[in-house]
Amino acid sequence: MNTNNIKICTLLAIVFLLGCDKVLDLEPTDRLTANAIFGDPKGVEIYMANLYSQLPIEDFTYMKQGFNYNQSGPNNGGQCSSMVTDEATHSESGAGVGDGDFQWWADGYKLMRDVNILVDVIPTLKISDQERRSLIGESAFIKAFAYFGLVKRYGGVPLIKNSQVYSGDAESLKVPRSTEQETWDYVLSLCDTAILNLGDATGRRATKWAAYALKSRAALHAASLAKFGNLAPQSGIAVTEKLVGLETSLASNYYKAAISASEAIMKSGKFQLFKPTPANPQEAAENYRLLFQDPNANGATVEAIFTKGHAVVGNFQGHNYDIWFQPAQTANGWPHPGRMNPTLDLADSYESYTNPGKNTPIVTTMDNNTNDYNGYNPSQNYIKYNTPNEIFKDKDARLWATSILPGTIWKDKTIIIQAGYVKPDGVAVIRTSANMTISGTTYYTYGAPNTSLYSGFDGFGGNNTKTGFGFKKFMNQLSPVIPGWNQSTSDFMEFRYAEILLNFAEAVVESGTGDAIAAAKAINDIRRRAAHKVDIALTVENVQRERKVELAFEHKRFWDLIRRREFHTLFNSSSMHSLMPLLDLRALPATKYIFVRVNAPNINPRTFITRSYYRAIPGIGSNGLVQNPEY
Amino acid sequence: MPLKILIMNKLLLGLFIISFVFFSCEKDNYDGPTAGLSGTFIDALTNKPIEQDIINGTTIELLEKGYNPVTPQYLIVKNNGSYENSQLFANTYTVRPVRGNFIDIPAQEVVIKGQTILDFVVTPYIRVKETNISKVGTKVIATFKLEQNVLNPIRKISLYAHSDSRLGDGMRLVVSEKTINVAAVPNTIYTIEMDLTSNSSTLKPGLGYYFRVGALINVPEAKPNYAPAVKMVI
Repeated sequence: MNTNNIKICTLLAIVFLLGCDKVLDLEPTDRLTANAIFGDPKGVEIYMANLYSQLPIEDFTYMKQGFNYNQSGPNNGGQCSSMVTDEATHSESGAGVGDGDFQWWADGYKLMRDVNILVDVIPTLKISDQERRSLIGESAFIKAFAYFGLVKRYGGVPLIKNSQVYSGDAESLKVPRSTEQETWDYVLSLCDTAILNLGDATGRRATKWAAYALKSRAALHAASLAKFGNLAPQSGIAVTEKLVGLETSLASNYYKAAISASEAIMKSGKFQLFKPTPANPQEAAENYRLLFQDPNANGATVEAIFTKGHAVVGNFQGHNYDIWFQPAQTANGWPHPGRMNPTLDLADSYESYTNPGKNTPIVTTMDNNTNDYNGYNPSQNYIKYNTPNEIFKDKDARLWATSILPGTIWKDKTIIIQAGYVKPDGVAVIRTSANMTISGTTYYTYGAPNTSLYSGFDGFGGNNTKTGFGFKKFMNQLSPVIPGWNQSTSDFMEFRYAEILLNFAEAVVESGTGDAIAAAKAINDIRRRAAHKVDIALTVENVQRERKVELAFEHKRFWDLIRRREFHTLFNSSSMHSLMPLLDLRALPATKYIFVRVNAPNINPRTFITRSYYRAIPGIGSNGLVQNPEY
Repeated sequence: MPLKILIMNKLLLGLFIISFVFFSCEKDNYDGPTAGLSGTFIDALTNKPIEQDIINGTTIELLEKGYNPVTPQYLIVKNNGSYENSQLFANTYTVRPVRGNFIDIPAQEVVIKGQTILDFVVTPYIRVKETNISKVGTKVIATFKLEQNVLNPIRKISLYAHSDSRLGDGMRLVVSEKTINVAAVPNTIYTIEMDLTSNSSTLKPGLGYYFRVGALINVPEAKPNYAPAVKMVI
């Protein structure tokens, strides 16, 4: 062995020895380790904030285009899920549910990966047992919420229960769809894990009660699919492989799960209806309005079970309800208000205090015919009213708090919604800009001389309601609209106590099991909060009417029509309806108004096709999944 | 840099872009579709075409061979029972009418090459027969008989009206419907009335409209069977 070889050997030995030392086992400096994040409460907070921000919460930023639609310039006309149901129509478009609408696929699996990374490291973290349990519970809640968002859209989906490891072979990462039943059962079992591990405090992050609420909603959804699926049968591979559809026999167990999850919340004593016993309908209406304007103020938190906050204005932070849906008169310079038009169909659904527990469509004529939508008829004997809103006098307080009715005050302005007038000679001028002067007074078809002074029926800019109703629920009355994108910061209650009561009542009445007396009390408590004094019976019809009006515009109606398979019968070349207030100049010098029930003008009829009960799964060509029926 | 070289450079760049454009045309374009499929749904008993819906009606599912997974293509059918897609790629397809208004038939393998004709000889769920639609006073009255070829009950019978000749369950201005929920009684005359007065804003007096009678069987995903539309001035 010569000197050179010895030198090389020595050098190698040194290198190897060094290599054995920990010197080269550096912690990477471009990323954080699990313990660095989750070992520190602040780190957990940051990671959790990211997960919560991805949750599929259908709040003010949930639009036709999907979740968190509050990026820079979210210019979609304000089209949201209420506008494809019978709650509302858009002022410019009658479009129904399109194949690409309300999707949540890739984002869903991104969230799933982020939460699975957390689930994987929980056992290794150096934290207390209590902290570990709450992380287990919280991550289970987030996964349950996310899979609920997927299963109600797509049916059975691939269940990624732990994070996947990429080893160079993309094929090995592909997971086939589970059946719809397996997916629902997985959602419910994740809820149980969350319930078991989460504390019973209330608050903004997931709690035991939020997990019970999710279970109540999800189990009711699954039960309804099992019970009503046969109303819209489908066929194809996805059906034969049970990737979509639930057996009828499964309904009773799911209803049972919904009942017990709801009861757990009802018996906890942690929640109650906000201001449950108002003295009169006016007080009830104001209470109900306040509850949604700001669920944090005035003690409204007693009803909130899980709330999504919008604390900061700006892109990816604020929302756009106040600009899109403000009456034209209070748009404050924003050029495109008035998009959400609550329908006459919804207004009809509210009970009348004079006729409790009955459907009471708004009567406009002496012959009580509420099925004539043919427009103004000079020979018809219309009921004459003294004000533009006297016709709603006996209607449920929640109609007044959900919609801006003609001639009511909003932000210190009288909101004028008028479709035209009937001239003294009996000729009506409707939805045309015109005026006439009689005895020195000028009368305008739209109730005022120019577009900044009224909010109804003029087609100008799509800014005026076409149905005769403006939008009020959730709108902030306290401050003027800031005429720019993403400037609203009101919070949204994803779960509130009233929904739990309604879930409970529905599960009891549909299954014929459970405590029927408590269920009747549940709906009557909600009605009492709306100033109803006469109790009504627990029937399917009463529960559904109550649910429709109490939860209006909370993005629940869409899923109610889906899970009860009512969408395709409700929307088959169907027009939504408007109530046109007309100033009746035949009555001069008295000021009188008449009302005409019509098809919503210039809005196409809508049809819901049965394939839309499940969304199309994107990317079949690459992910190799079985597509849903008829796509 | 002298001006001359600058111009030369620009010319070269231009040449490069042009050659690239032509090059990519050669490489990337596949031949267009050269084949097609057309035909008619024919009643096995009467040999007449079976009336259909153009919107949300019977569809024909095509699964092209050689793709896995394969995205199905769906052809729609005209109201008169005929269909055509003249722009298909020549290949072997699995062809099956789905969600129709006739007794289900199995899928078949079809070589589609050139303009291929494929008729489906099927048995409609219901035959709407001896239809008479006429205006009586302020009403349009339809009378007809029903003959059904399966045991299932009839869910509903309908009289549709529209200004367009392609009217049906998915396309109507006005509909009058009766829920039946029992099997049709042979030789019974069924009647549906449409009141014109209460629809005066949609069906305007003095104008011509199409009217069509339909009957829907209670079979999952079934589409209605129809009598041909008739035009009337009201």
